[in-house]
Amino acid sequence: MKTMKTMKTMKTMKKSILALPLVAVFFMTSCTDDDPVTIINEEELITTVELELTNSTDATNVVLFKSVDIDGEGPDDPVITITGTVNTNSTYLGEVRFLNESIAPSEDITEEVIEESNEHEVFYITSVNELTITKTDVDNNGNPLGVVTSFQTGAVGTGTLTVVLRHEPTKPNDNTLSGAGGETDAEVSFTFEVE
Amino acid sequence: MFTKQLVAIAVFLSFCFSNAQECTLVLQGKVIDFHDSKPLELAQIYVVQLQKTYISNADGSYKISGLCPGTYDINVSHYDCETKKITFEIGQNRTLNISLEHHISELETVNVLADVHDNHASTQSSTRINAEKIQEYSGGSLGDALATVPGVSSLKTGNSVVKPVVHGLYGSRVAIVNDGLRQQDQEWGVEHAPNIDLNTASNIQIIKGASALRYGGDAIGGTILIEPARVISKDTLRGHAILQGQTNGRGGSATTTINKYRASGWYQQATLTYKKLGDFEAPDYVLSNTGSETAAVNLGVGFKTFEYGASAKYSFYNSDIGILRASHIGNAGDLVRSINSRQPLIINEFTYDIDAPKQQVAHHGLQFNVFKRFAGLGKLSMDYSFQFNNRKEFDIRRGANVGLASLDIDLQTQNISLYGIADAFENTTYEAGIDYMNQLNRPNAATGVRRLIPDYDANKIGAFASLTHEPSEKWVLDAGMRYDRYDINATKFYLQSRWEDLGYEVQFAAFEIGEQGNQILTNPAFQYDLFAFTAGAKYLWDRHYDLALNLSSANRAPNPSELFSDGLHHALATIELGRLDLKKEQSYKVNATFHGNEGDLDFEINPYMNFVTDFIQLIPTGIETTIRGAFPVFQYEQINARLYGVDVHASYDFWTKRPAKEMKTNPDEIVDELTKLVSLESNISYIHGTDSSNGIPLIDMPPFQMETQLIWYNAFVKRLDFRLANQTVLQQNRFPNNNYDVSIPDDQGQLITSTVDISSTPAAYSLWNVGVSYAFAKANTKINLSTNNLFNTQYRNYLNRQRFYANEVGRDIQLQIIYNF
Repeated sequence: MKTMKTMKTMKTMKKSILALPLVAVFFMTSCTDDDPVTIINEEELITTVELELTNSTDATNVVLFKSVDIDGEGPDDPVITITGTVNTNSTYLGEVRFLNESIAPSEDITEEVIEESNEHEVFYITSVNELTITKTDVDNNGNPLGVVTSFQTGAVGTGTLTVVLRHEPTKPNDNTLSGAGGETDAEVSFTFEVE
Repeated sequence: MFTKQLVAIAVFLSFCFSNAQECTLVLQGKVIDFHDSKPLELAQIYVVQLQKTYISNADGSYKISGLCPGTYDINVSHYDCETKKITFEIGQNRTLNISLEHHISELETVNVLADVHDNHASTQSSTRINAEKIQEYSGGSLGDALATVPGVSSLKTGNSVVKPVVHGLYGSRVAIVNDGLRQQDQEWGVEHAPNIDLNTASNIQIIKGASALRYGGDAIGGTILIEPARVISKDTLRGHAILQGQTNGRGGSATTTINKYRASGWYQQATLTYKKLGDFEAPDYVLSNTGSETAAVNLGVGFKTFEYGASAKYSFYNSDIGILRASHIGNAGDLVRSINSRQPLIINEFTYDIDAPKQQVAHHGLQFNVFKRFAGLGKLSMDYSFQFNNRKEFDIRRGANVGLASLDIDLQTQNISLYGIADAFENTTYEAGIDYMNQLNRPNAATGVRRLIPDYDANKIGAFASLTHEPSEKWVLDAGMRYDRYDINATKFYLQSRWEDLGYEVQFAAFEIGEQGNQILTNPAFQYDLFAFTAGAKYLWDRHYDLALNLSSANRAPNPSELFSDGLHHALATIELGRLDLKKEQSYKVNATFHGNEGDLDFEINPYMNFVTDFIQLIPTGIETTIRGAFPVFQYEQINARLYGVDVHASYDFWTKRPAKEMKTNPDEIVDELTKLVSLESNISYIHGTDSSNGIPLIDMPPFQMETQLIWYNAFVKRLDFRLANQTVLQQNRFPNNNYDVSIPDDQGQLITSTVDISSTPAAYSLWNVGVSYAFAKANTKINLSTNNLFNTQYRNYLNRQRFYANEVGRDIQLQIIYNF
């Protein structure tokens, strides 16, 4: 009886020994798929930061600060263009836009920033004397958001204006970069001239 | 009672006498060694029905006379052999030759390891981690357990992602072989831990060099062999259950292993593990989002006799690991703020929740093995394995992409191998094998993030042969060689600007397929011929001292990350670039191992030298600016590297005399028994790594480290042990300067140029751990209570990728209950 069982086992064993290479060959050949590799366009990429300042008393006095890095994480540096002139002692309505222009049609990421206003804030830091920047919009909790701003200029002067979009900053905060924390989604510095 | 016995004797006697007249048959034959057909002297042949034992002669012959016609069961046993049961029928005088196997280690019946330096029949430098140590780490990771070995350290990302570093090398330079199966789990990434449940291991062997040719020739750092419990051919149920809880992370783990064996050779094995931890805590704050959850299943079924066997195994490992929230940063300016703040910028209340950033990994392994032994020759075995690894990484995302993985890669690997060992010869053992691997990497295109690692198909075919020769009891000589042909064929989109910037449009114009938008589709394909060889000699003075010298040379092909990486790394705010024109690495390593055992002192000294030409490493090449801000660019380059170092292990046991309670033959006699009182154990590792092309230190070299442990056995009561351990790690003073400057706006709007110090190394530290353990119920049940980082020391670890953001974990009290059956 026992020998019978052993015999049977041996037979099964031999069978499985023979079957193994066949199973292996089956697996080895059957698992390949040849779907074409599709392109991925970075969906959350910000290629463009635009700050548009419109003089509150003269709608034809529009200044546009623009930084475009069309290759995103690629080696090319952002290209900065500034059109228009900022006047002294004026009030400007400021509006910032974050765009993804690497895809067509381009995507306006500002909408997402506004939708998730509690998790975002735009910061404006400047070294220009007598330039005061006030955030005029608020998030869902009533804390500053910074997509819409008011720029109050004073005397003639030149310096830098840095626009920073922070994701998940501490809110409310002291309106400084160091106090806000979070991670930087966009950070662009422009030369800011008041003439 | 008495009458019953009388009746029994009477029945027995009548049985004997009534059969006596016809019982004149003779069974005779020889007892021989299965391996080499040599006669076995002093084999015991026990005839069950006669309740009588016969002994074989010097020529192996035996003779059993006075048998009656019928069926008999005999048990044949011999020193060092497994007992063999034979049932035979006898009608007339007959001859029955019985073959026994006397290489007990090969038979895998018992697994008693005398000491960690047990591999005396090899010249390679290897260390073993035994089952007891593995059980101690039931709640930890494989990397944690491996780091207890001198010369092995850990490259960590936080506390849950632990990658082994062997003699300064890690990743694809270290092969992990799980139950004979080369683990393929995207090991090229720095923050990818091996997807293996430590609890499935019964013992782990670490080979510190490229000499384990059977499992591939490219492991220029070393090979880690994880072995499951051995199969026993008797009817028994073995296993263990371990419950473990810890205060730091406020969680714990449960694991159980059940192995069911049958004398017939059938067996089933199962291991189940579940682990859940919340946020870890540094001495002063919660390390937010560092929780983890791991589940693992291992199932095996097989049939094994000495001569042949087959098995099928399935393993599943699933892990969710939170990554310190504060370590996910936007740009180099954020990194400067993190480094300067000296504590994480995001600290939340303790939670068990795991949010982004996090990793989710799943690993499935299916394997089949068959083997057959050939008398007087050796063993041939064939393995097939299928592995499926999925890795998802979740970043902080915006809009509709919140909750969507940023990285989602399927890696499917199949292996088939044929392996033969001829171990029947007196002085020489031969091994040879061929294997083939097919690997498909398929990143998910729906992540909305460009692929970190592209789609690729890889094939590898290799063969090896080696021999071990023992001309006398004093010498062991071994040598082997291996050849692999590796080809990889990838399909990858490059940003046009990147493709041109790297000069690939000229150098690799042949790979271009087409253009889409600002990206270019390419088809890079490469082949590598990889050679490896190893040779060594070992001399054994006597039982106490041995010296081994092993030389190994190996080639490693660049891994997919080194070839194709292309993009922003959020953990360190760096842009990492692969390089298509990388050549294979070539390593020459010399290991010397001097092992001694003098009385109660056991020691091992293992100096080594490793010269690697075309060593692939990341080197800073400049700064790039994007809309996010500035980032340093690191690109893979090839340099020549020189590594040397030494590992020292020593242990000393103090014994004490106690009056023995047993074995007294007369009440006035005083008998002492020796028991272990205290054992002192120490490990020291030092490594010196240099980029000899540029004359600067190599990055990420483990600093000098010393671990000392003192165990006081049977303190106060029997089986109550106290343990005191210290780990001292010095500051690494040799590191390359990879610092860079970046302009950061300050709060006054000025752009300030700051140096980002990513090079400086953390200060030295010294940690104390204490523990007490008590074993009861015939030592089957053991309770361990231990405290790690007793003094809640604040420190940072050079080999932790999160050292820029947070301190290491603080005090942790662990309770563990082990039940072995």
